[in-house]
Amino acid sequence: MLKINQVSKTFGDIKALDDVSFQVSDGEFVFLTGPSGAGKTTLLRLVLRELFPDEGEIVLEDVDITKLKRKDIPKLRQKIGVVFQDFKVLPERTVKENVEVALAVINLSRKDWKARIDHVLKLVGLEERGDLFPSQLSGGELQRVSLARALVVNPRIILADEPTGNLDWDTADKIMDLFEKISAEGKTILMATHHKLIINKLKKRIIELSEGKVVRDTGVKKLSPSQNTREASKESMTGSSVSEDKRKSKNFKSKESIKT
Amino acid sequence: MVNIHIKSAWDHMRRSPFQALAAVFALTNTFFVITVLSVIVFASNQVIKYFETRPQIIAFLKDDATNERVSDLQNKLESDTRISKVVYVSKEEALEIYKKATSDNPLLSELVSPAIFPASIEVQVNDLVHADSLIGEIKQDEIVEQVGFTASLGSEATLGEVLQKLRNLTLYLRIGGGVFALMLVSTSFLVLIIIIGMRITTRRGEIEILDLIGATPGFIRKPILWEATLYSLIGVFAGWLAGFVVVLYVTPNLVSYFGDIPFLPRDTFELAKLFGLILFGEMFVGLLLAISGSILAVSRVKKR
Repeated sequence: MLKINQVSKTFGDIKALDDVSFQVSDGEFVFLTGPSGAGKTTLLRLVLRELFPDEGEIVLEDVDITKLKRKDIPKLRQKIGVVFQDFKVLPERTVKENVEVALAVINLSRKDWKARIDHVLKLVGLEERGDLFPSQLSGGELQRVSLARALVVNPRIILADEPTGNLDWDTADKIMDLFEKISAEGKTILMATHHKLIINKLKKRIIELSEGKVVRDTGVKKLSPSQNTREASKESMTGSSVSEDKRKSKNFKSKESIKT
Repeated sequence: MVNIHIKSAWDHMRRSPFQALAAVFALTNTFFVITVLSVIVFASNQVIKYFETRPQIIAFLKDDATNERVSDLQNKLESDTRISKVVYVSKEEALEIYKKATSDNPLLSELVSPAIFPASIEVQVNDLVHADSLIGEIKQDEIVEQVGFTASLGSEATLGEVLQKLRNLTLYLRIGGGVFALMLVSTSFLVLIIIIGMRITTRRGEIEILDLIGATPGFIRKPILWEATLYSLIGVFAGWLAGFVVVLYVTPNLVSYFGDIPFLPRDTFELAKLFGLILFGEMFVGLLLAISGSILAVSRVKKR
């Protein structure tokens, strides 16, 4: 699904990311954690092609997005659902209109809008708030709007940048329950957070960054560049993903652990 | 269901009514002036055309002129390249013209007979510069009693001078009106750019969000383009309508002043066609202003 391969990014003299490599499989829920300035947001912005890496490749669904032309960036972003710490909802539009905008962006036929909007608003628990403006909503509700907008386009992957950063614990907990629910529906989620309680509670794969480097990956063992290439060619030759198998077994284990 | 971009543009207009009014007023004023100027230029052209198509030289014939001699003179004049039209008016036709001209007082026409009216040949020249020489030549003919002009309008000595004055007036009107209209169009264009630019600046956050969720540059530009288009269309229509009403209001006074001169079409369909054409032209200019103004505003804001 998503492969980050030897990615580096500097801002002047500051090395924001240094030779970062990892893969996220289809349906996986991954926490990207680390202290402030570790490079979490930079990494998400690279995946969104807001920034361009100095080195390395970022492959999303077999497409190296570092090689995308400028005109193809909107198409890439339409495949990605984004949830921000500061919600980034359109203040002059109602909840429903905020969600509608995302559908208009992907140019979905209007006749399909209602069913999709009703579904996501129900999923995030805002079915009764559709006609309210953002100024009439609480922080938690705003984050739900942001999540609904990300989900309504049926994205291939959801990138969440500190989605609970502006919320109190109770509200954050509820938002995380929602993310878990969405993950259970098979969505791939890459979430940047340093909220230890949340990370510990959800027991998902954790990729920890520090000073731009991956210092811990609880899911997949970090591969060397040569291993990375070998793995990729093996995947392309067999047509199946080694990491996918690993993910399935890991997911199974984690589901088991949640049940118990 | 209204298009999301039009709704968005309309919402922006409603939320900043004074900016919207400023843009619409600027455009309304511009297109009001353009409408009135267009009508004035059209009317002055019609007046010139009217005078240009009047017979400028009239050769009154002697009573004893035979048909053969009249025919000879007519043929001679028709073959002259300086002349565009030759019309023979018999005594009976002259009486009819007189009767028509005095129709509001039938007593005047009852007392006259065709015998007192001379037959005449009316001549229309290609260019008034030839009028003097032609008059001299026509006077030489034996059957010609007297040669007259349809000149002597007001204090002008000749029709040529009147026409020249009218032509100059129309030219000044066109140049002056054109410059004035251009200044107004430029002002409207600047107002439009400023307002759209302000709108984009206030929408910067929204544009950033739309960009992040995958909106194409076209998608982001569309509400801005629609907003500028709405300003233009409303401004054009309001200006045109105001001009139309003003022209209709003053037309009765102008008709009594100009008399027979058809400075505006008398036929309702023709009048509607004229105003329809003006509206069509103004819509085109308005759309051009909206599109170029919004593109320029977007590109300027992007550079910042």
